[in-house]
Amino acid sequence: MDRREFFQKTRRNKVEKTRRISSGLNLYNGAWTANEVSHLLKRTMFGAKNSDIEYFLNLTPDSAVEELLNNGPVVDTPLRDYGLIEDEFGVMHDDLGVVQGQTWVNDLNTLSDDIVKSSINGLRVSSLFKWWCGLIINQNRSIKEKMILFWHHHFSVQQEEAGGNATILWRHHQLLRNSALGNVSQLVKDVTIDPAMLFHLNGYLNSKLAPDENYAREMQELFTVGRGPDSLYIENDVIAAARVLTGWRVDGVTLTSNLDAGAHDTGTKQFSAFYGNTTISNNGAQEVDDLVNMIFTTTEASRFICRKLYKWFVYYVIDEDTEANVIAPLAEILRANNFEIRPVLATLLKSEHFFDPLNQSCYIKSPFDIIAGTLREFNVSFPPYTDWQNGYPLFYNLFDKASAMQQTLFNPPDVSGWPAYYQEPMYYELWVNSNSLPRRANFTDSLIADGVLDVRAFANYSSNPADPNQLVSDVVSLLLRYPLSQNSRNYTKNRFLLNNTGDDTLWTNAWTSNNTTYINSSLNELFKFILNLPEYHLC
Amino acid sequence: MNRRKFLSNTLPAAVTLPAFLNGFSFTAYGNSPYHSLSRLLGPDATNDHILVLVQLAGGNDGLNMVIPLDMYANYYNARQNVAIQQSRVLRLDGTDRTGLHPAMTDMQNMYNEGKINIVQSVGYPNQNFSHFRSTDIWMSGDNNNNRFDREKRGWLGRYLETEYPGYPDAYPNTEMPDPLAIQISNMPTVVVQGSVFSMGLSITDPENIYSFTNPFSDYPLNASPANKELKFLRVVSEKTKIYSDIIRAAYRRANNMATYPDNSLAHQLQIVARLIKGGLKTRVYTVTIGGFDTHKKQVNASDTATGNHAQLLKMIATSVNAFQNDMELMGTDDRVLGMTFSEFGRRIKSNASMGTDHGAAAPLILFGKHVKKGILGISPDIPADINVVNNIPFQYDFRSVYASVLERWFCVKQPLLNQLLMQNYQSLPLIKGGPCGFADDPDDINNQSDKLLLKMWPVPYSLNATIQFSTTGGNTMIQQINSLGQVVKVLTNQQYTAGTYNIDIYDDGLPSGVYFLRLQNQSLQKVINIVKIK
Repeated sequence: MDRREFFQKTRRNKVEKTRRISSGLNLYNGAWTANEVSHLLKRTMFGAKNSDIEYFLNLTPDSAVEELLNNGPVVDTPLRDYGLIEDEFGVMHDDLGVVQGQTWVNDLNTLSDDIVKSSINGLRVSSLFKWWCGLIINQNRSIKEKMILFWHHHFSVQQEEAGGNATILWRHHQLLRNSALGNVSQLVKDVTIDPAMLFHLNGYLNSKLAPDENYAREMQELFTVGRGPDSLYIENDVIAAARVLTGWRVDGVTLTSNLDAGAHDTGTKQFSAFYGNTTISNNGAQEVDDLVNMIFTTTEASRFICRKLYKWFVYYVIDEDTEANVIAPLAEILRANNFEIRPVLATLLKSEHFFDPLNQSCYIKSPFDIIAGTLREFNVSFPPYTDWQNGYPLFYNLFDKASAMQQTLFNPPDVSGWPAYYQEPMYYELWVNSNSLPRRANFTDSLIADGVLDVRAFANYSSNPADPNQLVSDVVSLLLRYPLSQNSRNYTKNRFLLNNTGDDTLWTNAWTSNNTTYINSSLNELFKFILNLPEYHLC
Repeated sequence: MNRRKFLSNTLPAAVTLPAFLNGFSFTAYGNSPYHSLSRLLGPDATNDHILVLVQLAGGNDGLNMVIPLDMYANYYNARQNVAIQQSRVLRLDGTDRTGLHPAMTDMQNMYNEGKINIVQSVGYPNQNFSHFRSTDIWMSGDNNNNRFDREKRGWLGRYLETEYPGYPDAYPNTEMPDPLAIQISNMPTVVVQGSVFSMGLSITDPENIYSFTNPFSDYPLNASPANKELKFLRVVSEKTKIYSDIIRAAYRRANNMATYPDNSLAHQLQIVARLIKGGLKTRVYTVTIGGFDTHKKQVNASDTATGNHAQLLKMIATSVNAFQNDMELMGTDDRVLGMTFSEFGRRIKSNASMGTDHGAAAPLILFGKHVKKGILGISPDIPADINVVNNIPFQYDFRSVYASVLERWFCVKQPLLNQLLMQNYQSLPLIKGGPCGFADDPDDINNQSDKLLLKMWPVPYSLNATIQFSTTGGNTMIQQINSLGQVVKVLTNQQYTAGTYNIDIYDDGLPSGVYFLRLQNQSLQKVINIVKIK
C-alpha cells in the first residue's frame, strides 16, 4: 500500500466514545500547579526543567503562554567547524571560502579546489545539523524550537532530494525559523519558490511546455488543504496550479530562485467551485501569491493547518466535538488574524481544552523529546550553540541518537514528514516499536552509566530527600506525566532505596550521614528504572 | 494428524497454550514450558527454510569478482590499471570461461564442492546510479521512478506479512514464537519493511540485548487516551522483552562449531549461526558490510590482486565459507540458503584513480547445500572499443532471483508470487534437491544459454536489420538496451510456440551507438551486443 492510499484513508476519526471531550476554547481557569505547568512545558518545549516549572508557576496561565510564544533573539548562523579536507589522493586542502570558526552561510563554495568541494558541502551540511541541535538543547523558555520542528515536518524536505547543497538547506531552514511564529500564508508562498522545495518536488522542472504536477499536488494535499472529506479540490485544480507554478528556476550560481518568464504559462488558469471558480492569469511571479491567497480563502485550509497543529501539540484523535469546539473556532481565529499563527497557538494553549485531563499524559514523546527532554530535565550542561569546538561534536551526537530512534533531521522517511503525526491508525505509537524502544532505553541507561546525569542534584529537587516516600513522590512527579499509584511508589521505594528491607530509616540514615556510595548507587538504579518505565514515554 | 497437533493435544492441562499474547500473564508466558516444547516439535516442513542475505553496500565491482576469461582481452583493455592478471584468476570446475578473484580461494573450493551458484549480470532496466535509490530498489523490488508512488515495503517484508498475518499484534504466538526476521544492524532496513512496521528486529549484540522489566500493571489515571497509550507502551515493552529474552536464550544455547576469521562479516554470521542452531524459527537474517564504493585505490598498483577490493572479497569468501562449515557441523545446512546483493556493479572502464565508478549489472552469489552448482548466464559482452559510459546490461532481473528464492526455497505459489514481486518474473533454476517440489533442472551450468539463438544482421545496422531468435515456447521477450543500461525498445513480448523466428526492423528511430539485445524465454536468457550507425 503506498503513501497515497494511506492518505486517502484519512477521514475524520470515528468518535472515540470513551474520549468525549466537551471542553472548548474558553480560557483555562482551573488549578495551576506543577501538574498543569509540567503538561504545558513538556508539550511546548523539550522536557520541563525543575527551574522552568518553578518559574512558570509564578505566572498566570495566560502570561505563561504569552512568554512561551516569544520569538526569541535573532540567532547566529552555523559555523565552519571542520579543519583541512583530505582529498582522495591524501592531499590536504583548505576551505578557501571561509575561515574555521566563521559562518559559511554567505559563501557559495566556489573558491576551494574542485576536488574537495563536495566534501566541503558535506561538512557544512553536517555543521548545520549540529548547530540546529545546539539550539534545541540550549533552547530558551519558548515554543520556538518545537514550532520549527513542526514546520520542518509540515514542509518536509529530504536532504538528498532537495539537492543536498548546504546553502540551499540552510536557507530553507532559515525560512522556517524566521516565520515559525509568523504568517502561515506567507510561509507557504516563501517555501513554494524556495530552491530546496523547488528541487525536492520538481518545481524547477515545471514549465509551460511540460508542466510537472508534483508540487501543485503536494502543496494542496500536504501543505494547505489536505485530503479530508471537506477538501474538495479536483484534478483540474492540480493541473491549473501546476500551470501557475511553471517557470520557477534556481540560479546555479547564486542558488536563488527566480521566474523564467519564457517558461511560465501566462494563460488563464481556471479553478473549481471549491476555490470559488477563481481564475489566475498573466500575473508573473505574483501568481504564486494569487494561488496561495486563493487556497487560503477556503475554510478547509485554515482548519487543515489547525488540525495539524492540534496533532502536534495535543493528541491525534479529533472527534466531532473537538472539530466543532476547537478546530473550527481556531480556524476562524487564523483567518481573522490574516493567517498569523501566534493568536491560534495562544488561544489553544490557554484553553480549557488544552488543560483538559483527557488531553494530558497521552502524547508519546518523540525522539527529540526523549533525548533533549531527558538531558534538559537533568540540567545536563552543554556548551552554547555557538561553540563549534566543544559544542558541535556533542550536538552531532544528539542528531545521531535521534536518527537511530527514527527521527532524522532533514530526512523524514517520506514527503509527508514523520508518520507519527499523520499515519492512521497508530500515529504517535509509531515512534515506539521493538526496534526503537531498546534504543530509547539504551540511551537513558548510558546517560546514567556514564555519569552524565547528576542524580544527586535531581534528588535535591525533592522537598525532603531524606524521606524516601517524599523523594520517590517528588522525583516521579517531575519525571512522569503518568503517575504511579501509591502501591507502585512503595514498590519503587522499597526496591531501589530500601534494598527490599521495607525500612524507611535505611534510606534516611544513608542520606543524612551522606553515605555517598549507597546514595549514588541507589539513585542510579532508581532513575534507570524510572526512565525505562513505559510511563516515561508519555507526556 | 501431524506431529504438532498430536503434541499439542497431549500437553498437561496445567500448561497454558496462549495463542495470542494479550490477556495472559506476560512473565508466565515468557517462562512457559510450552515455549521450549515447541522447539522439540521441530520445524514445520514447509516453513522452516531460512534465507541469509548478505548486503555488500557501496556497489560491488562484480567484474573483478567474477572475471570473464572468455572475454579477457577486452576486459583487460578496458581496465588495465585494475585488471586481475589472467594467470591469477581462480578456475572453477567445469568451465574455462569464468573464474574468481584470487582472494576468493575459499569460495572457489565451495564452488567446486557444489555449494555456490553464480548468477551473471544481475540488474534491472533503467539502472539508477544513486546508492540510496538503487539500494531501495533492490530492497523493495520496485524500480518505479515516480518517487511518490513507489513501493515502501521490502520484498521480504511483503513475504513475511503474508506468511505471518497480524504481526506484530498477534505475535509472538505458538505457531511463531520467535522474531520473523533478524537484522544484524543498528536500524531496520527496507528489505523487511512491512506496511506499517518493520517485520524484523535489528540487533547488534544478542548478549547485551535489552531486557525490560515492567512490574506495574495498574492504570491510576482516569483518562482513557492516556490509558490507551500506556497500554500500548506496556505491550510493546513486553513483546520487546520477550523477543529479547528469546534471542538471548537462543544465542546462549548454541556455540559456533566452525572456526571463523576475525572480521566484521564473520562476526555477524557467527551470531546468525548461533541463533539458527539455538533453535529460532526466524526465517530471514540480514547482515551487511560496506566499503564497496571503490572509486579510487580499488587495487594496489604493485599487485592488482591485492588492495581494498581484494580485502573485501577475501572477507566474503572466508566468512561465508566458515558460516557454511558451521551450518554443516551444526546439522542445519539443510535449511539454510544464503545470497549476496549489492545496489549496483561498477563501470567496465576503470578511472584514473585506480578505481571504478558506479555501474549497472553485476554477478551475485548464492550459497548453501541446496544451491545448484553452476554459473547462470554468460560473461558480459565487453566491447573492444570501450567507452567511459559503457555499462554491463542485465541478463537477469534481480527480481527473477528473488522469484527463485520465494518460489523454490520459500515455496510460495502463484498467484501470490506475482503479487509479492508486483509483476511476473521468471524464477531461475538456482535450487536443487527439490525442497518445494520442483524437479531438478537439467544439469547445465550455464542454463542452456548457448542453446538459445539470438542474432542480428547486419551489424552494425542503420536503417534495416533482421533479428533471428529461437524459443523453447511460452513467453518470449526481446529488449533493446542502450549502453547506459536503459531499455529503449521492447521488440517482442508475447507467447510463442517452440521454434525459430525473425523480426524485421526498419528505421527504429534510435540514436547511433552501442546496444544490447536481451532475449528472455521463461528462465532462459541471452544477451548479445550490436551497434547502430547513422
